[in-house]
Amino acid sequence: MAGTVDCSFIRTLINRYCAGEDNWVDSRTIYVGHKEPPPGAAEAYNPQKYPDNRIVSSKYTFWNFIPKNLFEQFRRIANFYFLIIFLVQLIIDTPTSPITSGLPLFFVIIVTAVKQGYEDWLRHKADSAMNQCPVHFIQHGKLVRKQSRKLRVGDVVMVKEGETFPCDLIFLSSSREDGTCFVTTASLDGESSHKTYYAVQETKGFQTAEDIDSLHATVECEQPQPDLYRFVGRITVYRRRSEPIVRSLGSENLLLRGASLKNTEKIFGVAVYTGMESKMALNYQSKSQKRSAVEKSMNVFLVVYLCILITKAVINTVLKYVWESDPFQDEPWFNQKTESERERNRFLKAFTDFLAFMVLFNYIIPVSMYVTVEMQKFLGSYFLSWDEEMIDEETGEGPLVNTSDLNEELGQVEYVFTDKTGTLTENNMEFIECCIEGNVYVPHVICNGQILPDSGGIDMIDSSPGVSGKEREELFFRAVCLCHTVQVKDDVAVDGTKMSPDSSKSCIYISSSPDEVALVEGIQRLGFTYLRLKDNYMEILNRENDVERFELLQTLNFDSVRRRMSVIVKSPTGDIFLFCKGADSSIFPRVTEGKIDQVRSRVERNAVEGLRTLCVAYKKLTQEDYDEICETLQLAQVALQEREKKLAEAFEKIETDLILLGATAVEDRLQEKAGDTIEALQKAGIKVWVLTGDKMETAAATCYACKLFRRNTQVLELTTKKIEEQNLHDVLLELSKTVLNYSNMSRDSFSGLSNEMQDYGLIIDGAALSLIMKPPQPGNYRELFLEICRNCSAVLCCRMAPLQKAQIVKLIKLSKEHPITLAIGDGANDVSMILEAHVGIGVFGKEGRQAARNSDYAIPKFKHLKKILLVHGHFYYIRIAELVQYFFYKNVCFIFPQFLYQFFCGFSQQPLYDTAYLTLYNISFTSLPILMYSLLEQHVSSDMLKRDPSLYRDIAKNALLRWRVFIYWTFLGVFDALVFFFGAYLMIENTSMTINGQVFGNWTFGTLVFTVLMFTVTFKLVLDTYYWTWINHFVIWGSLIFYIIFSLLWGGIIWPFLSYQRMYFVFMQMLSSGPAWMTIILLVIASLLPDILKKVLGRHLWPTATERTQTKHQCLSVEQSTIFMLSQTSSSLSF
Amino acid sequence: MAWSATSPGANQPDNTAFTQQRLPAWQPLLSAGITLPLFFCVGLAFIGLGLGLYYSSNGIKEIEYDYTGEPGIGNCTACARVGERVAPPHPNCTCQWCFSLPELFQGPVFLYYELSNFYQNNRRYVVSRDDEQLSGLASALRHPANECAPYQRTPTGLPIAPCGAIANSLFNDSFKLLYQRQPNGPYDEVPLDRTGIAWWTDYHVKFHNPAPINGSLKLAFHGTAKPPNWPRPVYDLSPDPNNTGFVNQDFVVWMRTAALPTFRKLYARIRHVNYSAGLPRGTYCVNITYNYPVLAFGGQKRIIFSSISWMGGKNPFLGIAYLTFGSLCIITGFVMLIVYIRYQDENGDGDEDE
Repeated sequence: MAGTVDCSFIRTLINRYCAGEDNWVDSRTIYVGHKEPPPGAAEAYNPQKYPDNRIVSSKYTFWNFIPKNLFEQFRRIANFYFLIIFLVQLIIDTPTSPITSGLPLFFVIIVTAVKQGYEDWLRHKADSAMNQCPVHFIQHGKLVRKQSRKLRVGDVVMVKEGETFPCDLIFLSSSREDGTCFVTTASLDGESSHKTYYAVQETKGFQTAEDIDSLHATVECEQPQPDLYRFVGRITVYRRRSEPIVRSLGSENLLLRGASLKNTEKIFGVAVYTGMESKMALNYQSKSQKRSAVEKSMNVFLVVYLCILITKAVINTVLKYVWESDPFQDEPWFNQKTESERERNRFLKAFTDFLAFMVLFNYIIPVSMYVTVEMQKFLGSYFLSWDEEMIDEETGEGPLVNTSDLNEELGQVEYVFTDKTGTLTENNMEFIECCIEGNVYVPHVICNGQILPDSGGIDMIDSSPGVSGKEREELFFRAVCLCHTVQVKDDVAVDGTKMSPDSSKSCIYISSSPDEVALVEGIQRLGFTYLRLKDNYMEILNRENDVERFELLQTLNFDSVRRRMSVIVKSPTGDIFLFCKGADSSIFPRVTEGKIDQVRSRVERNAVEGLRTLCVAYKKLTQEDYDEICETLQLAQVALQEREKKLAEAFEKIETDLILLGATAVEDRLQEKAGDTIEALQKAGIKVWVLTGDKMETAAATCYACKLFRRNTQVLELTTKKIEEQNLHDVLLELSKTVLNYSNMSRDSFSGLSNEMQDYGLIIDGAALSLIMKPPQPGNYRELFLEICRNCSAVLCCRMAPLQKAQIVKLIKLSKEHPITLAIGDGANDVSMILEAHVGIGVFGKEGRQAARNSDYAIPKFKHLKKILLVHGHFYYIRIAELVQYFFYKNVCFIFPQFLYQFFCGFSQQPLYDTAYLTLYNISFTSLPILMYSLLEQHVSSDMLKRDPSLYRDIAKNALLRWRVFIYWTFLGVFDALVFFFGAYLMIENTSMTINGQVFGNWTFGTLVFTVLMFTVTFKLVLDTYYWTWINHFVIWGSLIFYIIFSLLWGGIIWPFLSYQRMYFVFMQMLSSGPAWMTIILLVIASLLPDILKKVLGRHLWPTATERTQTKHQCLSVEQSTIFMLSQTSSSLSF
Repeated sequence: MAWSATSPGANQPDNTAFTQQRLPAWQPLLSAGITLPLFFCVGLAFIGLGLGLYYSSNGIKEIEYDYTGEPGIGNCTACARVGERVAPPHPNCTCQWCFSLPELFQGPVFLYYELSNFYQNNRRYVVSRDDEQLSGLASALRHPANECAPYQRTPTGLPIAPCGAIANSLFNDSFKLLYQRQPNGPYDEVPLDRTGIAWWTDYHVKFHNPAPINGSLKLAFHGTAKPPNWPRPVYDLSPDPNNTGFVNQDFVVWMRTAALPTFRKLYARIRHVNYSAGLPRGTYCVNITYNYPVLAFGGQKRIIFSSISWMGGKNPFLGIAYLTFGSLCIITGFVMLIVYIRYQDENGDGDEDE
C-alpha cells in the first residue's frame, strides 16, 4: 500500500511541475460537453491540461527498449558484477577469454530481454486494442464514433449494455427510469456481483443525445487517486432561469474504467479521469517487492564468496610479486617479456594482476545460479497452481500464484495470522434466531424445501408477548426488513404483483454483506418479505400478504468504524422512523429505552455460542427532526474537503436516543476442516493468531470451535475491561509472571513429553493493543507484550481495525527473532496485513477479490493452507536450499583446483581448464540435473508430510541454510577440490601414464581434474536425490554422457574457427591411459566417501524426524512388496 | 526401493502424474544396510587392485642421473660453466655419464630427460605460440600471432618461424648411448629410436609444414627468421627430410607444454633387435652434448632410463592410494557395522531396519 501511495505522491508532484506551479489545484473543474458556464457563475477557473485517453501499460517503446531494458537488467547487483568482470576481461589481458563470462551473461541478458520484450509486446497489443476500440461521443447533439484514445476530459460518452466504460465517468443518466444502472467490476476487483450506481438526480432526465447537448453543467472533483472506492466531487447544473443546483457526487456516481455495464440498455456519462489518470490505471502500480529468507541468506553467502574471491586474488597477487622478486623466476631466458611489459607501471601492473586473478576465479559466483534459481521458482510455482487437491470442488477454482519469489518462504512460516470471518468461517450466514424484548423467536427449519408460510413458522421459546409486545414484534420485523442495503436480483422479481408468498422464496437477494442477506431471508421465514426498492419506495409483504410501501428518505451507510447503519423511512401512515442496526457495542450506548438487560444477556449468550449478533433499535422522528437531519446531512455531503469526517460527525449526532427493539443472531459456519488445519499448523510448530473485527465472545467461541483454544488451554485476557480495573502496567506484569513462571518451570522439568505442557491462550482487543502500541512508553510494554505472546500457543485479537491487523503483523515481524509471518484473509480489511506479512495469502472470498488480488498466493479455502504450507512449502524449501548449497559447492570444487594450480605455475594466472570447460561447466554440464532436482525432489512423500505435520519443524528457522550447513558444504567442496587436484598431481607428476611412454601436458592434467570434478559433482547430486523419476535419470546420466560426447567432439576435430588447437585429442589420449581411468575412479569415490559416511552415520546416530519417516516408509514399502510377491506366488501355486 | 503408485487420475490429459507431482519414482535410501556391503566390497576390490598396481609399479626400473653440472658433482661442470647465465646457442660441449647394470634392465626401455624449475606452464609461456603457423598456414607463417611477442618478429621485422617462447626454448641437448659388453671391451653404440615419441595425432595431424616450394622446404620458409636461440633454422632441424621443419619429433614433443614445473619428456625408445628384451648386463656410457643452460634459472637436468608396464611409468602413488583407500573403506565399514548393530539393538523394534 505504501508503495502505491508513494507512487501517486510522486505522480502528483510530477503533475504539479508539468502543469506549472501556479496552475496546481487540489481539485479539477470540468465543463460537461466543453460548454463554459454562464458568465459570473463560475469561480476563478484554472485551465488544466489533462492527458488523453490512451492507456499505456507497456514499459518500453520501440526506441528505448534496448537502453532501458539493459539499464534495468544491469541494475541488479549480480548482473552488474558479471558485466564488470566481462569488461575487465575485454580491457586487460586476462587468462580467460571474454567469451567465458560474456557468453553466459549475454545468454542470461538476452533470455530476460526477450521474455520482457515479448511481455511488453503483448501489453502494447492489448493497449492499442483498448485505445482503438470505438466509443460513442456526443458532439453538437449528435452521436459520433471515435477511437477511444481520442476521448478527452469533459466529453460526454454513451455506453451500451455489455460494453466496458472507456474512462472514469460521472454517471449522468440512464435508460432506466430510476436513474440507476448495474455494473460488474469483475476486471477491477474480481467481484462479479452486480453493483448499482446512481445517476445524478438533476441530470437523469437527459435521455437522448439532443437532451444531453442542452445540459449545461460543471463538475468539480478531486484530482485522481487510486482508491477504487472513494470519490469526492460535486456537480453544478445551470438552469436557464433559476439558481444553479449543486449536488454532491460520491463513488456511487462514478463509473470506473474497466467495469462493464449490465442490465441497462445505455447510459450517458461525462469523462472526468482519462487515460493514465483513470483509477484502473492508477491501480496498475505494482506492489512492493518482498524477498524471501532464502534469498537473503543466499545474498549473505554471496558476500562471503565475494570475500573469499577477493582474498584468493589478493593472496595470489602478493605471492606473485614475492615469487617474481627473483629475476630468474620472473624473466628466465626462455620466457622474456616484451618491452612494453617491462616498462609498465608497477602499481598498475599489480592492479591488473589482481583483476586478472579475480577474473580467473570469478566462476565461484556463477551467473547461472541466478538463472537457475529464477527458473526453479517460476517453473516450480506451476506445481502449486496445478495441484488438483487445492481446487475447490464447488467453484472449480484453483490456487493462484501471484508471485513465485516467495515459494520457499511457505516452508518457513512461524506465525500465521488469520482473519476469522470468511477465512476460518464460511461467511455463509444463516439466520438462527431473533430476540425481541427478551422473547426468543426461532424460524422453522426448511421442510422439504418448503417454508411454512404462516405464523406457525415461529417457535416462541419464552412467554407469549402482550398486546404492546405484538406491536413491538412487528416493528422489529419491519425494521429488519427495511434497514439494509440489499438488492433484489432483477430478472427474478419481474413483476411485483405476481409475487406470492410461495414464490417469494425464489427471490435472490444480493448484498455486499452476507449478514444482511441472511437477516432478510430469515425475516422472510418469519413472515415479512422484502420485495424491492422502487422509486425510492421499499415494498414489503407482511404476514397478511399485503404490500406495505415505505418511502426511503435517507440511508446512513454502514462503515467499519461506526459498526452500524441506519435508514430513515416514512411509513404508509406518514410516520417517520429511523431504524438502526449494528454491533451491540455500538448500539447499547445509544439506547435509552427498551428491555436492555434481557436483550444484552441473550446477546452475550449467543456470542458465546459463536453466533454473530446484531442489535436493532429505532427512533420515531417528527417532521421537524427530519428536516434538521436532512440539513445536517446535506451540508456534510456537499463538502469537498474532509467529507468523511463531517459525515461521521453528522451520523453520530443523528443516531442517538434510540429505543432498543431486539437482537438477531446469525450463524457463520466454520469452514470445513478449519479445526483440522489449525491443529496441523500448531503441530508443525506454527503459532496461529486470529485477528478479527468481531467481538470477543463470538471470536473466542470460534476459536474453541476450530481447536485454536483447547479445553485445557488457560485463556489469559488483556482487554479494555481488565485494563480499566487495573492499570496496563500491572496487567502486563501479572500476565507475564504467570506465563514466564510456567515456562521456566517446564524448562526445568522438561521431559520431552509436550502433551502434558500447559498451554496458554491470549485474548487481546483492539483498544488494549493501541494502548500497548502507544508511543510514550516505547519498547517497554511492547517487549513485555511480545514476551507474553511468545509463550502463548494461541493468540486471539478481536475488535481489530484493518490497520491494527497490519500493526500486529509488523510488531511480530520486527521482534528480535525476526520470525517469518504469514497473513491469510479474504476481505478488503485484510489487505493491509496481507501486504505487511512476509507471505500474504488471500482466500477467494464472498466479499470480493481484493484480498486475493493483493496477496502473494490465493487459495480457495482455508483448509488448503495445510497443503500449501506443509507440503508445497516444505518441498519448495528443501529444493531451493539444496539448489543454493549445491551451486556454491560445485563452484568451490570447480575453482579451488584452479587456485591451487597457481602455486605450481608461478602465479601466472594460467587457467587449469580449457575455455570450453570453463564456459560450459555451469551452463550445460551441471545445470540441468540440479534444476530438475530442485523441481522434482520429494524427500518424503506428500501424504506423509500431511499426515505428520511435525516434519515441518525439521526445516524451521532456515535449517538447511544455516551457517553450520553452509560451512559443511563449503568444506566438502574444498576437500573435494584438494582430492581432485593433488590426486591428479601425484598421478601425473614425473611419469608417463601411457603404455607407449609418451607424456601428457598441462591440458591433459586440467582435463583429468575436470573429468573427476564432473563425475564427483554429479554423483554428489545422485547421493542427495531421493526421488528418482525418469526425468532425474535422464538429466543426470544424460549430463555425464553429454560431457563425454562433447569432450570427444571438442578434442576430435581441428576446429577451423579456433586460433588454438590445445585440446586436440587431449581427451582421447587421456582415455587411452589405464592409470587415468584408475585415478578417476579412485578420486571420485574418495571425494564422495566423507559425504556418504556423514549421511549414513547421521541417519543412524542422530536421525532427524524426516530421516525416520524415510526409513519407516522404506520398511512399509518393502513389506508391501513382499506381501505382494507372496500373494503372487501363492496364487500361482493354487493354479 | 519402491515404485510409488501412480495416481488414479494419471490418464487425464491436463491432470497428469507429472503436474500432480506423483510421477512414479525409485526411492533409494542410503542406509547402513545398503552401504555396509558396499563398503566391504569396494574396500576389498581396492585392496586387490592396489596390490596389483603396487607390484607392477615396483617392477618398473628406473635409472636416473643429474647432469646439471653443479660444481663438484659429475663431469658436466665444465660444460655448465661455459653456458652459465648465458642464453643459447652455445658452443658444443660434451660430457659423459657412465653406469653399469649388474643384471638385465627389462625392456622396453625408454629414455627421458627431466627438467626442473622450468615453468613451462607459466601463462606468458603457454600462450606464446601460434597453432595456425604450426599447422602450416601460409598467412600465419608471415604474420605470427601477437601472443608470440617478444619472439614474434626479429628486430629487423622478419617474422620468426616457429614463433613464440616455447619454440624458441626448444631443448637441444642430445644423448648417445654406448654399451661396453665386456669389461675393457669396445663401446658399441646402442641405436636409439627417435620416432614415435610424440603423440601420433600431433605429429601427423596437428603439425604441418608449409607447402614446399619447388620441392624445397627451405624456399617455403623464405622470408622468415629462425628463433633467436636456435643455432639452425627450422628447416634444418634434422637431417632427415621427413622429420624436419615443424614436423619434427623433438619439436612436437617440446611444444606440448608440461603441467608442472618439474617435468619429463620422452627422448627416445630403445627398440633395436639386439636390445628388444632390454638393456643387457654390462657397462654403459651416455655421451651428452651439453647445450641447454639451466643453472641460469636455478633448474636441473636429468637423464632417465625407465621401463614401462601396462600402467605406464613408475608411479607408486596409485598403488599406495588404492591400498590406503581400500583399507580405509574396510575400517569405516567395521565402524559402521558396530554402530549399526548397537543402534539396531537399542532401537529395538527394527526402526532402523532396512
